[in-house]
Amino acid sequence: MPKDDHYVIIGNGPAGNSAADTLRKEDPEAKITLISDEKSLYYYKHRVPLYTVGGCEPEDLSIRPYRSYLENRIRLRLGQRVEKVVPAEKLLYLNHMEKVHYTKLILAVGASARRLPNHAGFADHLYCLAGLDDARRVRKAMMAASRLVVLGGDLISMGFAREARKAGKEVVFILYSSLFWPVSLKEEIQQSVTKRLNSLGVKVMSDAEPVTDVRPEGEGYTLTLPDGEEMSTDLVLSFFGSVPNIRFLVGSGINTEKGVLVDHLMRSNQEDVYACGDCAQIYNPELKDYWVSVGWGNAEAQGELTAMNLLGREKVIDYQPKEIFEMDGVTIRTSWWKTFA
Amino acid sequence: MTTSVDIVIEICGSAGEGTISAGEVMTRFMSSKGYEIVSFDSFPSEIRGFGKCVAHFRASTETVLAPGKYTDVLIALNDAHAITQLSGLRKNGVLIYDSKPPVCHEEDRSIAGWAEPGMTAYGIPMLELANKAAGNAKGRNMVAIGAVACLFGIAPEEMTAFIERRFKGKKPKIIESNIDSFLLGYEWTKTHVSKEDPYTFKGAEIVPPEGEKTIMNGNEAVAMAAMDSGLRLYAGYPITPATKIMEILSKRLGESGGVMIQTEDEISAAGNVVGAGFSGKRAMTATSGPGFALMGEMINLAVMAEVPAVIVNSQRGGPSTGLPTKMEQSDLSAAVNGGTGDSPRVVFAPRDVVDCYAITCLAFYIAEKYQTPVVILLDFYLSNSIRNIDKPVPPDAEMCSSNVFPADEALDDYERFKITESGISPRTLPGMPFGMFVDTGLEHNTYGKPVYDGENHLVMTEKRYRKFHTMQAELPPAVETGTEGEVEIGILSWGSSSGAAEEAVRKAQEKGQRIASFHCSVIYPLPEEALKAFSRRCRILVVAELNYTGQYANLIAPVLNREVRRLTLITGLPMASEDILEFIGTFKG
Repeated sequence: MPKDDHYVIIGNGPAGNSAADTLRKEDPEAKITLISDEKSLYYYKHRVPLYTVGGCEPEDLSIRPYRSYLENRIRLRLGQRVEKVVPAEKLLYLNHMEKVHYTKLILAVGASARRLPNHAGFADHLYCLAGLDDARRVRKAMMAASRLVVLGGDLISMGFAREARKAGKEVVFILYSSLFWPVSLKEEIQQSVTKRLNSLGVKVMSDAEPVTDVRPEGEGYTLTLPDGEEMSTDLVLSFFGSVPNIRFLVGSGINTEKGVLVDHLMRSNQEDVYACGDCAQIYNPELKDYWVSVGWGNAEAQGELTAMNLLGREKVIDYQPKEIFEMDGVTIRTSWWKTFA
Repeated sequence: MTTSVDIVIEICGSAGEGTISAGEVMTRFMSSKGYEIVSFDSFPSEIRGFGKCVAHFRASTETVLAPGKYTDVLIALNDAHAITQLSGLRKNGVLIYDSKPPVCHEEDRSIAGWAEPGMTAYGIPMLELANKAAGNAKGRNMVAIGAVACLFGIAPEEMTAFIERRFKGKKPKIIESNIDSFLLGYEWTKTHVSKEDPYTFKGAEIVPPEGEKTIMNGNEAVAMAAMDSGLRLYAGYPITPATKIMEILSKRLGESGGVMIQTEDEISAAGNVVGAGFSGKRAMTATSGPGFALMGEMINLAVMAEVPAVIVNSQRGGPSTGLPTKMEQSDLSAAVNGGTGDSPRVVFAPRDVVDCYAITCLAFYIAEKYQTPVVILLDFYLSNSIRNIDKPVPPDAEMCSSNVFPADEALDDYERFKITESGISPRTLPGMPFGMFVDTGLEHNTYGKPVYDGENHLVMTEKRYRKFHTMQAELPPAVETGTEGEVEIGILSWGSSSGAAEEAVRKAQEKGQRIASFHCSVIYPLPEEALKAFSRRCRILVVAELNYTGQYANLIAPVLNREVRRLTLITGLPMASEDILEFIGTFKG
């Protein structure tokens, strides 16, 4: 590779970091830049619920210090949002009005909180937990809260309910079985989930969705259930999984559906643009369709593989996602799925 | 509830962008509110162009003696220049930048792109808001101040009132556009920015200043002291960083009957001063390194002819024209030893703005009484550093008239250079009956007539040096701070670096170290006994100064006669307490 190669990775999660490390290992000379609109250093997402209840501090979430990026000559640009990608010019525009040129680009932008369309009318009153910025807001709100209502859920919601209970909060979980993320809950799994939540002291309501309104009242909120009944709480949290952060790609010419569409070598339709992790929809030649994956392990594996492909070492993705869902003691086994719930 | 506040703010822009004036508005405002301020400006030597300007100031509720080495808040009016200041921004510092520059920055040219994790970057559309407020970009600096006021808890109405006072006398449109720019910056920030950093002035516990205060920098203090001391002639040639003294005196010296002359060069300026001194008028010149070099022969003449003269040298980086707008303390050797022959001259180096006033008053007194040139060593930082100080008490009549006149009977056979025990030969002034004498740069006898024999030369040289022993009793004592008795580390410093040394000692003491500092505003004659006494109680001696060779360390080495550790910096910046703490932190055992 020429020494003036500039590999740019957008995303500071497991896929992005794994890709950056692999690139550095395989190409010691290249210029590598990792850009993320999040301000936090790479952190353990599974510890976020603990953080929200004050069980740990930001430094306990950090996976690697800034120093390690400096040592590996990986330019880390945090809190910097890519506004626009122009593949024809191999150019990125950042929100603070700066151009960044790349020779190869990896999109590992992950996902942000999924919000339900029928919650749009009261979305401002719902707390989400997609990233550390969300977590800070939740943590601040949690300090004054004693009663919480959780709507959803998803992979992280059960961990959150557990930590909230440990912190002495009263938790009501309004279960949206058909909208559970990433896959709808079948009867059997729903029972397991309910049982687990009950064992934590969480009150589960499986016939109370969809909530039709949330409005502020006094220091807290009042929810309206489908039957018109009202419920008071201090805080309402929305856990419906995530959607890929690909809005900034509109107009770029990069093909997207729910995520970035990539082939079996993680290449997008645009030259030298790749995608991996939660934001990618990967083509399966045997299925003749795109599949998605979630989870930390998958993201890491894809990041590494994408980096290898970027360097010309063709490696085809394993169609068997390595992860099975482990949701706070409830296991959901699945090999792959075609789309998010 | 905030009580103690200590925040270092830096504004960085290009020449002509109002960087320094924004810094001045902020420092004078904060000072007027009762904060302790230490400020330092850095700007290019070119009058206008694209050079980097930095206004650096520290505002604190506590007593502060030195500019902070590390910046808490960096305001970037020009990204390209401000990027070079990022290395001094604290890891959790705040960056304020223009989020809507006229064109998109090329890669790596945006300061926001270099903000490190842990720093908080606030993008403010400074240019856009300035255009909106005043129809041009001039108000970007005031927009930035508006953002600062909003982010760090400064009441907007207090700042607008201050701006009105500060710009009083200017056209109403100028005042209005400055205030509009400020308010727009404030309101936009209030509406669009969510504060994420820990810094604030809100709730700061400021001790209301007692007595009458005045805000001034080192140059202003020198000029004011000179006028209060009866200055009758200022002769000078403009040079950074001393020009401000001339500017002030050009406006005000005439009010008290004095004269300001801008001469054709520094040789002439010094000649004017020696001439006025000879005639019995208090006179002064102010210059910097290159000008001081030119004045050398005239200073020598004043030594030999025993004529009072006050010469201010505000040091900058050297040699030659060197670094006109950078800080250095590297003219000490030239000041003390720059004369040919055995050419003693008094050298003072004030430590801060208050000391600038006191030392300048003393300089006139000593110069006149002891008939000698007195060099006052300022520096770039001290000249420009703004402080809120107690209004200085003007010198009394004795200080303002210190010439030792001969007794009437001595005029029967007047010996202008009479050998005396004190070394002071009573002096007549031109026009005094029976007081005529010959004065020359040649070696002379007691009547002033040229005599070249060795015996006379020895007697006269001894006399000239004897004055320096005599004056010791009238010179200010050394100041020692920190732990009393035996200490592990003793820090000697001079001039404006002394504040950093004292502050470093205070911080180290808080951590349990046995440490002390030594400062004397008198460089020459050396305070030998005080130096020796301090040395005796220190296990390790450090000399901290801003030059390459350790000029003060070299000067005092024969007195101390022991090993000293030298902290010598030539970064173009003033000494900070952190510099000293980091240096002594490297000591083992």
